Amino acid sequence: MDNKLLEIENLKTYFFTDSGRVPAVNGVDLFIREGETLGIVGESGCGKSVTSLSVMRLLAHTPGRVVDGSIRFAGMDLLSLPESKMREIRGNEIAMIFQEPMTSLNPVYKIGDQIGEAVRLHLKYDKKKARERVIQMLKLVGIPRAEEIVDEYPHQLSGGMRQRIMIAMAMSCEPKLLIADEPTTALDVTIQAQILDLMRKLKEERGTAIMLITHDLGVVAEMCDRVVVMYAGKVVEEADVFDIFENPKHPYTQGLLHSIPKLRRKTERLQSIPGNVPTPGNMPSGCKFAPRCSHAMDVCREQEPDLLQIASGHRCRCFLYQNDLAKEA
Amino acid sequence: MFTYLMRRLLGVVPILLIVSIFVFLFVHLIPGDPARLVAGPDASQQDVELVREQLGLDKPLAVQYIAFVGKLLQGDLGTSMKTNRPVFDEIAARFMPTFWLTVWSMAWAIIFGLLIGVISATKRNKWQDYAGMFGAVSGISLPSFWLGLMLIQLFSVKLGLFPTGGNDTWKGYVLPSLTLGAGVAAVIARFARSSLMDILKEDYIRTGRAKGLKENIVVWKHALKNAMIPVITMTGLQFGFLLGGSIVVETVFSWPGLGRLLIDSVSFRDYPVIQAELLLFALEFILINLIVDILYAVMNPQIRYE
Repeated sequence: MDNKLLEIENLKTYFFTDSGRVPAVNGVDLFIREGETLGIVGESGCGKSVTSLSVMRLLAHTPGRVVDGSIRFAGMDLLSLPESKMREIRGNEIAMIFQEPMTSLNPVYKIGDQIGEAVRLHLKYDKKKARERVIQMLKLVGIPRAEEIVDEYPHQLSGGMRQRIMIAMAMSCEPKLLIADEPTTALDVTIQAQILDLMRKLKEERGTAIMLITHDLGVVAEMCDRVVVMYAGKVVEEADVFDIFENPKHPYTQGLLHSIPKLRRKTERLQSIPGNVPTPGNMPSGCKFAPRCSHAMDVCREQEPDLLQIASGHRCRCFLYQNDLAKEA
Repeated sequence: MFTYLMRRLLGVVPILLIVSIFVFLFVHLIPGDPARLVAGPDASQQDVELVREQLGLDKPLAVQYIAFVGKLLQGDLGTSMKTNRPVFDEIAARFMPTFWLTVWSMAWAIIFGLLIGVISATKRNKWQDYAGMFGAVSGISLPSFWLGLMLIQLFSVKLGLFPTGGNDTWKGYVLPSLTLGAGVAAVIARFARSSLMDILKEDYIRTGRAKGLKENIVVWKHALKNAMIPVITMTGLQFGFLLGGSIVVETVFSWPGLGRLLIDSVSFRDYPVIQAELLLFALEFILINLIVDILYAVMNPQIRYE
């Protein structure tokens, strides 16, 4: 049960810009077990994508840098690996699919070449064998006319098809972990469902663990075993998927769940969390959510709560429960 | 694709006709009297008038133009007023030296320009970038006569490695082509740098890195091919300019090319030669643009011609 594939501890990734240091990820702790789907949920700018790019070590060409913490994957310390070893992991043991299928494929190379490139690089297949593998992968992800598509260019395909191509590329080397950064956000709703079905099917067949980054709680309910909720660069709540929906503890998680429109309740306006995500320049002292929180107490504005275990497998960063725990003790 | 090519090639004819009108009019606007120049400074006014009649310059411009185009359509470019040889032979003799000089210059320019551009783009704001862009600005700013003379001074006079001029051996090509190529390389480097920097921000570049590709492959295979369109456009234009023959560089290196032929024929008011050369430049530009358009389709499969 406790075979952790990926374990992130106290990850801090800062962006160094002209206007100063921006802590995009500010002490993230999370883990993913083998074969498990972990959802990472949060508003734009909460650091979920930066966390995934930190795992892949794809920040070298951005102003971002991991300044503290550790990322362990299958017994390796990813942050201290030399770049050449890291390249052997990227696309091979950890693969990634992105939010924008329309722009994530190179427009000037054929589909087959782009998928085959990873296969030839990591599995050391020759050209012919790689092509067979590509066609096999295209069929697996439900691409019709796979033998023809392999010689076509990305612009000849729709967004949904391109995201299938991205999945085929990511899965082509049988990764242990698939990082999916908002994989369905840019797609039509019907296509979204197909892509999610496909990912779930592949995961069940191959036992691939998935880190699913999304802001769509519907996708989380559909796909995930466990959920991590992020706010302002930190994990605020972590629980299995049933607990998150049935028994959310953190006021932010509760707010997120309330802001899902419900068909049966005809209210005038959608519920929303008042206020905005704090910008890095004016982070509140104490709990980062306190200014928007209806339960905020004096202590929340002075001190930052820790991420504490409140039940088995359920952790929460909120003083409401820390006081309860203190009373029990 | 074939029908597209045919259509484009047929389109050349009307364009050249329009160009011929402008060329003809502009050439006749050049002040100075060719009849006087042909007859010589000591000739009497009567002789000059005789020559004018022989050359057909006494007729109205429209009549002269129709005669010019009529001969042109039969493939006759006329006779040089200065040498009395057919214009075609005059130009043919000068074309190849200029053509090969252009090819050499462009080869340098593309190799060094791309190399500097790619290094500058990937080492953005590091010393390599600053060095590359310093070189590029120098290449654009240095006047070619000065650069040519400096190269002659160093490599011909001091070191004796290359001849000071002429195209007798391959060695003669080195210095003039470097002189011409420097400016073009600089322009290519700047275009390649800015284009590549934009492309390196694209999502598919991140996909390539996420695949585990080496950075060199990401840059030279995935990014560069996408970044080539503006570079090709610009390179084609430069190729066209160089094919016209560089008056300055051909003069500095006493090169028997089209540039010097043009300056000679302009100073002699040799109308048929000037007209033929200008028409040739127009034709070259049209053909180069066609080749550039075809290269677009080769580089980017989203571009298709019907």
